[in-house]
Amino acid sequence: MKKILTLALALSVGTAAAQSQSTFTWPNAWTAEPNTANKRGGELRLAQFSDFKSFNPFTSSEADSIPIRMGSGSGLFTQDPRNDEFIPYMAAAPAVISNNNKRFVVKIRQGMKFSDGKDITVDDFITTWKIHTDDKVGSNSRDSFFLAGKPITLKKIDNYTIQFDFPQTSASALGIMSFTPWPDHIFGAAYRSGGADAVKKLWTLATPASQIVSPGTWTLESYRAGERTVFKKNTYWGDWNKDSRGQELPYLNTMSVRIFADANAQLAAFLAGQVDTVPMRNADDLAQTKRAIDNGSLKAFLKANASPQATSQWITFNWNKDGDAAKQKLFRDVRFRRAMSHIANRDAMVQLALGGLGTPTYYSVYPIFRQQIDAGVAAGAPQYKYNLAEASRLLAQLGYSKKNAQGYLQNSAGKVLEFNLSTNAGNTVREQLGRIFADEAKKVGVKVNFTPIDFNALVSQLTAKGENRPFDAILLGLSGGSNVWSFGNNVVPCGSNLHSYNNPTSGKCLTSQEQLMTKLYYQGDAELNDARRRAIGAQLMKTEGELQPVIYLVGANFHVAFNERLGGEFPAAMMDAYYGHRFNALTFIK
Amino acid sequence: MIPFLLRRVVQSIPTLFLASLLIFFIIQLAPGDFLTPAKLNPNISPEQIANLERNFGLDRHPIEQYFLWMKNMLFNFDFGLSFMYQQPALDVMKPRIVNSLWLVLLTTVFFYAISIPLGVYGAVRQNSLADKSVNVVLYFLLGFPSFFLALIVIFGILELKRITGGRIDLPFGGMTSAGFNDLSQFRQVLDILSHLLIPALVLAISDAAGLTRVIRGQMLEVMRADYIRTARAKGVSENTAIWKHTFRNAILPIVAGIGSLLPAAISGAGLLEVVFGYPGITPMILEALGAQDLYLIAGFTVIGTVLLILGNALSDILLAVVDPRIKVG
Repeated sequence: MKKILTLALALSVGTAAAQSQSTFTWPNAWTAEPNTANKRGGELRLAQFSDFKSFNPFTSSEADSIPIRMGSGSGLFTQDPRNDEFIPYMAAAPAVISNNNKRFVVKIRQGMKFSDGKDITVDDFITTWKIHTDDKVGSNSRDSFFLAGKPITLKKIDNYTIQFDFPQTSASALGIMSFTPWPDHIFGAAYRSGGADAVKKLWTLATPASQIVSPGTWTLESYRAGERTVFKKNTYWGDWNKDSRGQELPYLNTMSVRIFADANAQLAAFLAGQVDTVPMRNADDLAQTKRAIDNGSLKAFLKANASPQATSQWITFNWNKDGDAAKQKLFRDVRFRRAMSHIANRDAMVQLALGGLGTPTYYSVYPIFRQQIDAGVAAGAPQYKYNLAEASRLLAQLGYSKKNAQGYLQNSAGKVLEFNLSTNAGNTVREQLGRIFADEAKKVGVKVNFTPIDFNALVSQLTAKGENRPFDAILLGLSGGSNVWSFGNNVVPCGSNLHSYNNPTSGKCLTSQEQLMTKLYYQGDAELNDARRRAIGAQLMKTEGELQPVIYLVGANFHVAFNERLGGEFPAAMMDAYYGHRFNALTFIK
Repeated sequence: MIPFLLRRVVQSIPTLFLASLLIFFIIQLAPGDFLTPAKLNPNISPEQIANLERNFGLDRHPIEQYFLWMKNMLFNFDFGLSFMYQQPALDVMKPRIVNSLWLVLLTTVFFYAISIPLGVYGAVRQNSLADKSVNVVLYFLLGFPSFFLALIVIFGILELKRITGGRIDLPFGGMTSAGFNDLSQFRQVLDILSHLLIPALVLAISDAAGLTRVIRGQMLEVMRADYIRTARAKGVSENTAIWKHTFRNAILPIVAGIGSLLPAAISGAGLLEVVFGYPGITPMILEALGAQDLYLIAGFTVIGTVLLILGNALSDILLAVVDPRIKVG
């Protein structure tokens, strides 16, 4: 009896192993509503704001480009939205790690095919890496194949085994390795014969859709400039992507994306049932959608405040003001910056500028990355909350205790406490944030000259290097980043180009805290253990919080709205700005 | 006629040269360039920005850039590369120009079909109740931005759909319906026409206000002229007096304005295209302006200037045809 059981077990494990070698099973828990009736076909109708610019994955630079939409459902590893962990995806098994966590050997699944039926092999990964890293191509992904300026190298072991060598250990390694492979038989061939120029000439908007080849869920069916792009399912993709009952994915036949240059028209199309989901920008969008649902003209799912957005809004002070010694001294004084944080009335900003739909922020880590935030707060990372009395006390320590006739603070020499603050004109939310900040500052006697200016002029001020950079303070925002190591490699280390508060020609740190933050940044990036890395992040947050080089303000919230004809969304608790509200592969039309 | 055309061609050379110079350097005067927003991206390093600047030729001096651009345009008919699209600016513009052309053509048909009868009627039945009410509506429309009118129309369509429980569902937004590719050719034409209808009507109605008033005024003036009274006295029918004698003389300012239709045709229907999500020129140019896509903006403006010059020449020729007092040559 025991023998039979063992045999049966061995057999089932054997088949399971064989199956897992060739297919990836999408967990049942990734959807709130599994497609048990096996409904197939239909079209997912999406909308987007800016026009599609290119079919070419190497020259495209947009966030929601055609190559990125086609490439979804590819990559060696993928993140599980339940716990953020990377699991093997195009990889057949977890990577074999050696050489002090710097070498990763990955076996890829056999039997995966591009949409033209050609096998996906290691050559496709190698070629993609080569072309992305050629600076003559100008790929936006180039920097993701470098660590601290040193290249990551790929090596072919055999047709289905690939080796990555990292210049140093990195927690982001699995994410870095998870790029989309593009066909070597198209791009590699062109690259070998004509170099970067030949690659750039491939897959322009004039290329017929039938010649476009995709490794992912979707491939191009048709493209109409400025109007609509239609994707059809890559039938070969279902060979290795199955749902938990073993059915081929995706369920849908088609996904279309309509271009709207006007956000109101986009919302109108959603309310009219012409598109299935649109982003909810603000309270007004939510109210209109709610009204349409309530009066019965729209059957849709609506969830307000699903999570914070993965963005930040902040004020940075310029420490490099050799031309104005008084201001330089002021901006470099931690008490001044803490006072400024006490002045920021974040609750009023959420209420007035974001219509109540936002989250106050105190750290560079976006509030959506809850685990890191929690670790930081637990480690005692400070929050200098709205407190005008405390702000006045700190400013008095700096010598600003008397007010002049206009009600502004001045020091013993009669110098008024004032500075210029700019943001990019036209961004109404930032303009309101700046006004609220300036109004509150006036209450304690700080004169803030707030002026929205042209975006490009603002950016060149912010990214200027040198001992006398051309601004006092700037209100701006950043987005982009991962939940693995949620600190910016262009932001935290001294000398990096978005280290906005202190950027002298030499790129040197000015304070010991900056040095510590730079050290912690690289230490955390090199730590593979999640808990230990989070602990390092917590220390980094604590140091950053105490130094207050940048005053973080508020972040808008992410809301979910989609037409109820769609099924297969995430459980409501799993929806957030990082993962969205569904995987297209598990989406079906009811 | 031929010396006239030749003279026009010669005159247009300095005009075009100066225009291109202005276009190019005014764009250059704006702070920053196409890559500025990338500098705020935490994932792009300064080295990569420098690489891209070199690739795009943005590291060269603007004067050098201008002459290179001019040379390519004159000798290769190459308007430069669009940074956003990474392909020749001309290829990016072509489909948009064609789309805008359809919309503008239909608009023009509606435009004349509305304003000519209304203008003539207003003149013939001056100060009647109908004339007065048309005048009131036109006054209202004259001060009404077309994009706002479009938003109200969209709202109206949505309400209409809601009230009728979805039975009346007029197409708005875009140029084609979903599943357009699977339709027969005839159905495709119908589909595009149905999408053109509402934006074209909105645009024509809001534009017709001006022309209707011009035609009405011109007609009134001509109708009081001696030769019309003479014609009436000689016993020509009312129709002939109005259409053949009065109208023909009253349309001179319209003909003079036809020249501006040509550049207008490719500059598209303006913000209306944005509101209706129509894939015309305006949404693309707005995006190009925002992104500082140098060659796309410059190339498009140059084409617009060329068409303006052509259109003006065309107007002059047409005027000579309609008005025997004017001679070209």
